[in-house]
Amino acid sequence: MQIITRQIKEKPLTVIIEYPELNDSVSNLLKKIKSLDVEFSANLDGRQVKIGLSDVYYIENVERKLFIYTAKEVYRLDATMAEIDDMAIDTDLVRISRTCIMNTDHLKEIRQVKNSHLEAVLDNDEMLIVSRKYLKDIKKAFQKGLV
Amino acid sequence: MKKILKDTLLLASLMILVVFIISIFWVGITEEIGLVLKLFGLAFVLSIVNYLLDEYLSLSIIMSYIVKYFAITGIVMLFGFIVRWFYPSNFWMAFIYVGVVMVLAYSIDSFRIKKDLEFINKKIADRSILDKEN
Repeated sequence: MQIITRQIKEKPLTVIIEYPELNDSVSNLLKKIKSLDVEFSANLDGRQVKIGLSDVYYIENVERKLFIYTAKEVYRLDATMAEIDDMAIDTDLVRISRTCIMNTDHLKEIRQVKNSHLEAVLDNDEMLIVSRKYLKDIKKAFQKGLV
Repeated sequence: MKKILKDTLLLASLMILVVFIISIFWVGITEEIGLVLKLFGLAFVLSIVNYLLDEYLSLSIIMSYIVKYFAITGIVMLFGFIVRWFYPSNFWMAFIYVGVVMVLAYSIDSFRIKKDLEFINKKIADRSILDKEN
């Protein structure tokens, strides 16, 4: 694969992909690039902000209210888990429990704590509980090469 | 191999169900057909309970299996009494039947979780190496 980059000041960021045939690798690459464009409209102290997918660590449902967690901030998200599930298709977001969707791009490790809970460790050293039921979804995301 | 075993079990279930349901039109619900239909009914109820426990309980793996053991044994006993599989003298056998199934399920589940964790963590490690190279 050849990677060519060039700066053109007058143009917005443009990615051109040339391929001999549209195979799984190309499709995965396209999905990955498209997912970079995913943004969430969230609230922080009453002001509306846009959060890029790459900044999202996880999304949690707390008493039917959704919150987006980034490395340092917590934002209120005006959406439902079902809507986020739809947006999460072909992105690095994977559901890890009934109330939490994690960005696997920030996943450092998943471990089992003394034959008990499963724990996801993020790259900011935050830990999330992973439900066993959703472990196969995380595995699938890695198998599909989305991550 | 896992897929072949899974497909075999699914296909066998489907064959049994189709053969027995078609047989009902000729011979009616015989004792054997009744037993098979009851087993499918019990499996359906247990699958729903298992799904709900997985969805709404957040316990450790061992605790989750202990809760499931008692819940499933209770359902099997109740179902067994209703369809007259058990009598007051032998109802305790449900504990043994369910116990054996749960020990097998726990062993398979633990092994699968270990393998899945190894796979995911290896992928993460590979990704970190690639990121460092780039």
